[in-house]
Amino acid sequence: MKARTRPLFLLACLGAGLARAEPVDFVRDIRPILEKRCYTCHGAEKQKGGLRLDVKAAALKGGDDHAPNIVPGDPKGSPLVRFVKGEQEDLVMPPKGERLPAAETALLSRWIEEGAKWPEGVDLAALEDKKEHWSLQPVTNPAPPTPKNTHWARRGLDSFILDRLEREGLSPSPEADRQAWLRRVSFDLTGLPPSPEEAEAFVKDQAPDAHERVVDGLLKSPRYGERWGQHWLDVVRYADTHGFEVNTERPNAWPYRDYVIRALNNDTPYDQFVRDQIAGDATGQETATGFLVTASVLLPGQIGKDDASKRLARQDAIDEIVVNASQTFLGLSVGCARCHDHKFDAISARDYYAMQSFFAGVEYQDRELQTPEALAAKKEAQTVSGKIADIDKQLSRFVPLASAGGKRSAVNAKVNTDRFTPVKAKRVRFSIQKTNNLEPCIDELEVFNTDGANVAAAFSGASVSASGQTIVADRHDLNYINDGRYGNSRSWMGNENGKGSVVVEFPTVQTIDRVVWGRDREGKFQDRLATGYQIETCESGEDWQLVADSSDRSTKTVKDAREEAFSREGLSPEERKQAGALVSQRLPLVARLAALNNAQKAFAGVFRKPDDIHLLYRGNPEQPKESVSPAVLSVLGDLKLPADIGEQERRVALARWVSDANNPLTARVMVNRVWQGHFGAGIVATPSDFGRMGLRPSHPELLDWLAREFVRSGWSIKSLHKQIVLSATYRQSSAHNGAAAAKDAESRLLWRFPPRRLEAESLRDSILAVSGALNLKMYGSGFNLFNQRGGLSGFNPVEKFTGDGLRRMIYAHKVRREPEAVFGAFDCPDAGLSTSRRSESTTPIQALNLLNSRFVLDQSEMFAARVKQEAGDDAARQIQRAYLLAFGRSPGPGEVSDALEVVSSHGAGALCRAILNSNEFVFLP
Amino acid sequence: MNCSNSEHLSAPGRVLLDRRQFLSNSATALGSIALTNLLGQDGLLAQSNAPAIDPAHPYAPRAPHFPGRAKNVIVIFCAGAVSQLETWDYKPELIKWDDKPLPGGPAVTFQGPAGNLARPQYEFRQRGKTGKWVSDMIPHLAELTDDIAFIHSLTSKSNTHGPAENFLSTGFNLDGFPSLGSWATYALGSENQNLPAYVAIPDPRGVPQNGANNWGPGFLPAAFQGTTMSSLNPIRHLSAGLAQDSDAAAKSLLQRMNARHLQKNPENGKLAARIASYELAARMQLSVPEISDLSTEPAHVLKAYGADDSTNKDKAAFAKNCILARRLVEKGVRFVQLFNGAYASGGKLNWDGHNALKEQYDIHANVLDQPAAALIRDLKERGLLQDTLVVWCTEFGRMPFFQKGAKGRDHNSDGFTCWLTGAGVKGGVSHGETDSFGAKAVKDVHPLYDFNATILHLLGLNHEKLTFEHNGVQRRLTSVEGNVIHEVLA
Repeated sequence: MKARTRPLFLLACLGAGLARAEPVDFVRDIRPILEKRCYTCHGAEKQKGGLRLDVKAAALKGGDDHAPNIVPGDPKGSPLVRFVKGEQEDLVMPPKGERLPAAETALLSRWIEEGAKWPEGVDLAALEDKKEHWSLQPVTNPAPPTPKNTHWARRGLDSFILDRLEREGLSPSPEADRQAWLRRVSFDLTGLPPSPEEAEAFVKDQAPDAHERVVDGLLKSPRYGERWGQHWLDVVRYADTHGFEVNTERPNAWPYRDYVIRALNNDTPYDQFVRDQIAGDATGQETATGFLVTASVLLPGQIGKDDASKRLARQDAIDEIVVNASQTFLGLSVGCARCHDHKFDAISARDYYAMQSFFAGVEYQDRELQTPEALAAKKEAQTVSGKIADIDKQLSRFVPLASAGGKRSAVNAKVNTDRFTPVKAKRVRFSIQKTNNLEPCIDELEVFNTDGANVAAAFSGASVSASGQTIVADRHDLNYINDGRYGNSRSWMGNENGKGSVVVEFPTVQTIDRVVWGRDREGKFQDRLATGYQIETCESGEDWQLVADSSDRSTKTVKDAREEAFSREGLSPEERKQAGALVSQRLPLVARLAALNNAQKAFAGVFRKPDDIHLLYRGNPEQPKESVSPAVLSVLGDLKLPADIGEQERRVALARWVSDANNPLTARVMVNRVWQGHFGAGIVATPSDFGRMGLRPSHPELLDWLAREFVRSGWSIKSLHKQIVLSATYRQSSAHNGAAAAKDAESRLLWRFPPRRLEAESLRDSILAVSGALNLKMYGSGFNLFNQRGGLSGFNPVEKFTGDGLRRMIYAHKVRREPEAVFGAFDCPDAGLSTSRRSESTTPIQALNLLNSRFVLDQSEMFAARVKQEAGDDAARQIQRAYLLAFGRSPGPGEVSDALEVVSSHGAGALCRAILNSNEFVFLP
Repeated sequence: MNCSNSEHLSAPGRVLLDRRQFLSNSATALGSIALTNLLGQDGLLAQSNAPAIDPAHPYAPRAPHFPGRAKNVIVIFCAGAVSQLETWDYKPELIKWDDKPLPGGPAVTFQGPAGNLARPQYEFRQRGKTGKWVSDMIPHLAELTDDIAFIHSLTSKSNTHGPAENFLSTGFNLDGFPSLGSWATYALGSENQNLPAYVAIPDPRGVPQNGANNWGPGFLPAAFQGTTMSSLNPIRHLSAGLAQDSDAAAKSLLQRMNARHLQKNPENGKLAARIASYELAARMQLSVPEISDLSTEPAHVLKAYGADDSTNKDKAAFAKNCILARRLVEKGVRFVQLFNGAYASGGKLNWDGHNALKEQYDIHANVLDQPAAALIRDLKERGLLQDTLVVWCTEFGRMPFFQKGAKGRDHNSDGFTCWLTGAGVKGGVSHGETDSFGAKAVKDVHPLYDFNATILHLLGLNHEKLTFEHNGVQRRLTSVEGNVIHEVLA
């Protein structure tokens, strides 16, 4: 250090005159300055602003914003000099701490003036060529090694594991007993424990292919897709709500979840699985493109009205697709290049925006499906709607005429009908003079003509205006009053307490005889109800005519304001009978219609003309640079599409490229995910980062060998599972071994099967399986974990589960960011971000949930009842049965006597509660 | 604690070790070193300064990066965006310009067309030794200005409540990142092993926007998630509601089952940790009801907080939440988040005053003011403020003009006020400025990253070093930004 600073010292003492005699030497004079003043932020560790000054090529190229920072021969034109001299007030270097003394800045200036001579070969650091990174190289074709122990290996992969263990002086653990292996493989492949009968049969089965038959059976079970589908949904952060503040329900997301489960159960080749999810609209798997839109997204009403907010929201939405596709399929954090070239990987900002171009036409919306089933559903829905309209028309006969002298029933919050003598109208005005409280709210205003058609609907061409409105994102908007959708979250809200009016105008004059309106037809809200109102019609000009009002409505308080609008009050017995018959015909039709409407749509993205994508300076949508057409990551290929290429063709091209057998990442990333699913950690322990910041593979040759085998098997995920779970590696015991642990505590080299806790879903599913309550209904809309399926306010957890609530947890309606009240604490991802590997933490909250929740207490009792039913009244037999069901083994004598004490004085429920909480139950053997 | 054997680990290596530390017990500490060496040779690991977490005691206290000034934190989070112009940022120019258009102002802001400039809706007067101008909306808090460091020049990355509340709580607009309290307890554990390390207390009127994301652990282990409780709602699943002897019999049987199982599977740290978690849960079952039982608080304390206000149930409930917050830090709970304001409701249940700002703020200020001021005074009188940092914050501010046709202000993320008081904070400071209308921060501008970096600094944590690897990125609370605001430090 001293020696290096000497020239500066001399320079300062003797003046520039003398120093000028000798040319500046980079190594002697300049590097020490850079080292002392700049390397902390612009060296090997950090490259702030993209600038690196310890390597010639990088230093002369310059940083992100001011390149080149060094202009040989022109110190005044070199930003570096300007900044260190403090000539630019808003950009002074170094930004903190001591400034450069004049002598040093003078030396830097002179060095640049003399041509910034930087000799070759003097640098102490070298730029690592990011393109040389291992995962970007073609998959190799390694021959399995030949370990010394020739008896242990059962499958090809075993020799790689054994060879590495031998090289580290480790040896594999003994084989786990049959009962432990069966339990392990059952949880692992299906997320459920084996039944006592399966366990007994397997332990007795000494045939050489006994293991293989078990595995074939498990892979054939529909339970397999439900288990491994969850792993996939973790990565793509699947949820049934839109996220962010409003967290609105995404009611048609589940078809994608079902696609994943079906695809896995069918052993859809992985390359096809990839293509479906990027471009399923072209491969005949329309719902698979739900993959593209799994992220949280701001709905239109939540985005600012100013253009900058809209541009940012759109950028964020496309970014999520790029991030999802690149980390899921390629294991690369391409999203890091949104604001600047990737700091660690060979991914430029241009690469990133070229990737955006592939998805530039994707919108986060429900898509009308064009499948034969969906088209059939649509057709049937029309018929059913017609039938309902017909019944409504018939029913309307029993609704007393308004203003006819009689008393009509009181208004109620759900739905009200005002019937009047047919009148010609071009406009209808609904004005409110009184509400039960606050500003009025109407979810839907329908006006029927004498043919029974709703002429007020937006789709019939009607338009609406109002005295005022309160807009709340995705909840209240004037346009919701005639959008054909019911409920508070699709309603108009006025902006004045107790009053307001709405006018509907039809495209042509209509003969109308009925107005139907409600506050909330879903029956959740009873406030903001119009209790004083008038309905007027107008055929032309301003000639308004009153046709109905609240003056003849009963004012008696309706006991339950939600009660169905159709009132039988005042009808003759015969009329009552007729009306009752119509009402009961109507009910199933309404339910059928709801189901049919859902069957036509999936939240799988809408595809439209792509946006023109620009390179954005620092990722800022307000600073667009040149336009960028679709292209794959330049380090991996040269596929480039013309800027005007169609939307679907873009995604099809990308899908082909990702799923190409020659893509070095796709197969490697997937076999690694599967490996992690079986052993708890992947060969690469950072499964969504195969870049330079990720961990290197523990067994590189094995990874490549597996990837090759995978492609060779026709990308069969089930074949890969089979290889793994039948291997000697997988069959090892999980028992501790002090000597081996001293070398490899986490068993990364697999000297044993690494023990781990069941995941949240497996735990819940297994409790239900053991208690006998598990409902195996597959697919479709999810069951509720909370009192609501989306929305802003507090989510109150469902405490008591019955029926559909006892289905497997993958069929729960997943509310983003809302942890499930009992099992969420078991590191269950909340779908905010992608979870490529779950953590496994242990907390007292988990203990409280499992000990005291209504769910576990109920299931303990169910379990006890099952045990009694299957084993009879004898306590010892009950204990035996409970152990077999929960642990797949018989209890030892000590265990029986411990349990007997409890069962005899507190019943089998207490034993079952202890069992469901026990370590043996919640850990994989 | 002993970070020594992980010092040379890389980002992802740290996670690996971190996870391993989660599952290993002290008996395998030697093994950890050996693993490090073994995998280190392969370049599978590099540098680390992650906290060493004992899986059986995830909340054990851990040393900060450097001696911190604060041990505990209480965050008073005012949801819905409190107007800086009605509270702490006095703009007399607005009185002059009342009902005139803002020259060169935007035509359209977040919710729609802009109206004319509007004067502060409350009178301002000077307070304390420093003569700080504060409005009459919050007379109790206004008396505390000599102990407060105001930052008037904060900016947010979003002007939408959801992303902006995420940004304030987690440093990112998107869902799914760890909250400030999760980062703090991940780094530091807690001083009390019988209570959760991190408690989130929702407002009696409802949870804030984005709900649990404000106290979520993101990709950090679930142990560091905020536990919700309030004076109205106790911790869930605290007891089974079974007959005591039957409950005890099941638990004791469970203990014996787990002990036998551990005997058959010796040296398994995960099993031992899970057994320990049941012991911790049992202690929590005793200490949580005790801490939530405010009947032991004397009448004068309840009165000081306004917890006895029978005319205003929201205020009384929020006041009880404030007392609960004090009781928690008194017992050594590391991080308490106290929410004031609920979800989007047209400004009725939170500070989102778009349409009738004054009318709504009269109500909200009444709920906030006396209880929050009493909390700070109480902490001070008990000597707790020496070790406790109190943070008052809101996700962004509001525009100097009204919205067209309305009597309220639209969202404004370009300049707003939050403040700090207590441990390590310089009192009587007003740092940073907005322009003369309060529309935009112009002097000493600080993105919220800086605010969060400052909070971590006061806890003795370097925001650049408190990191966790997730999907290939070394994540921090402050992303790649953040500068500590030294001007507010004592």
